[in-house]
Amino acid sequence: MIKLNAVTKQYGSLTAVDSVSFSVKTGEYFALLGPNGAGKTTIVKMLLDFTQPTSGSLSINSILSTQAASRTAIGYLAENHHIPPHLSGWQYLQRCAELLNIDRSDATDQCRRIVKQIGMEGRENTKASTYSKGMIQRFGMGAALLGHPKLLLLDEPTSGLDPIGIREIRQLLESLKEQGMTIFLNSHLLSEVEKICDNAAIINQGKLLVKDNISALIKNGDTLEDVFVRLVKG
Amino acid sequence: MLKARSSIIRIAKYTLMDQVRQKSFIMMFVICALSILLIRSCSQGSFMVNGQALDADAIIHVVSKVIFHIITAGAMLLAALLSMRVFKRDRDEGMQSCILSKPVTRWQYVAGKILGLWVLSVIFMFILHSIVFIIVSINLKVVMPEYLIPSLLCSFNLLFVVVAVLLFSLLMSDIIAFLCVMGIGVISFVADGIFAMSQSQMGQAMMQQSGSASDLSGWKVIYYLWPKLSGIQQIASSLIGREGSHGFLSIYPVINVLIYALSLGALLFWRFRNEEII
Repeated sequence: MIKLNAVTKQYGSLTAVDSVSFSVKTGEYFALLGPNGAGKTTIVKMLLDFTQPTSGSLSINSILSTQAASRTAIGYLAENHHIPPHLSGWQYLQRCAELLNIDRSDATDQCRRIVKQIGMEGRENTKASTYSKGMIQRFGMGAALLGHPKLLLLDEPTSGLDPIGIREIRQLLESLKEQGMTIFLNSHLLSEVEKICDNAAIINQGKLLVKDNISALIKNGDTLEDVFVRLVKG
Repeated sequence: MLKARSSIIRIAKYTLMDQVRQKSFIMMFVICALSILLIRSCSQGSFMVNGQALDADAIIHVVSKVIFHIITAGAMLLAALLSMRVFKRDRDEGMQSCILSKPVTRWQYVAGKILGLWVLSVIFMFILHSIVFIIVSINLKVVMPEYLIPSLLCSFNLLFVVVAVLLFSLLMSDIIAFLCVMGIGVISFVADGIFAMSQSQMGQAMMQQSGSASDLSGWKVIYYLWPKLSGIQQIASSLIGREGSHGFLSIYPVINVLIYALSLGALLFWRFRNEEII
């Protein structure tokens, strides 16, 4: 589903991503792990064509990420999600549905279902300016789920959420697994990744350190956190 | 193609709705409309000079032309104000990444923004011009449909302003982008004024006396190549007064501004293609 081929991204003299290659299969729950500034968000941005790689190529469903068609069945949640303050959560979801060319009646049905799914019933008609960071993140998650995407690109989806919210998002992601959705997750919450994902890759200073099955990464009673710290600290 | 068009129209619709919702826009519109209504007495045509009544029709035509120019210049100012923060606001409020994470291309996004801002400023200008048109029609008891055509002609100026401010706002700070485009407009008006003076008998005589006529050829090239925003307004106002056309020179400002708008538009698309989305 996702393929990165020797992708490098440079910002001046800084190499944010250094010749990274890996692939993610359809239906896979994949986590991209790394410390702050490792290049995780840059990879997601390149997948969405928000920024272009200096060299190498990225593709989604065999379509180059530079083509808009590659984003046809993608749901995306940014790390610090924002909603225009004058819009209500409902209006925001409706806008997102319109942009996906979902017809009006279907959009209303989907929005209603999603508001319930993200636990925001009763708050969907208040303006976003009154929402907490966690609530905005939930609506962002809801927007990502519109149009029955086949791939979810989630950049720190639990950012700003309280423990209950984190648990709800985890449960939501687990329920999506049954629908055969592919998930590409950037996260710092290693315990959550351990519970949700099948495979993980760890990058540091733009370089791919390891990519493997999570159960293969965790050996001898270690946790994912132990493996992560060992690899990153060298 | 249909999908592309619908994406552009949707983005234009959101741009328009987001701008109209702003209190500053509503305030600006109300103030402008009230100002025009307050000066309606100027177009009542009962002017006396040395105890003699002046020709009401002529007075009304002159006054309405002046108001026409003020509204058009005001609409350009408004278009620049609306355009200067559009990209920044979209970026800060997450709409840019929201739209571009969908199967929408960057050129569709930019085209939607241009269309939305252009349509909004044209509607703004058209409504204000219509108020003057209605006042003049009531006072003269004659419907003058030719008053609304110049309004549409001036929409080319608004297109230029929107595209230029959007492009400059990607290259420099918003306020500098706004000032740059306003500067281009002011230079256009001042240059047209100076040119008109230099074409007058007095101007010609002064130049012949000082012997500077031959030194002006370089300036003339710059003058003709500069965005002819003022030129379009003059053509438009000549349509109100039913003045005769002057051949190619009369449509040259339209061609000039259209070429500028298209060239700046192409630069804007090219620049935004390399823009990093946050």
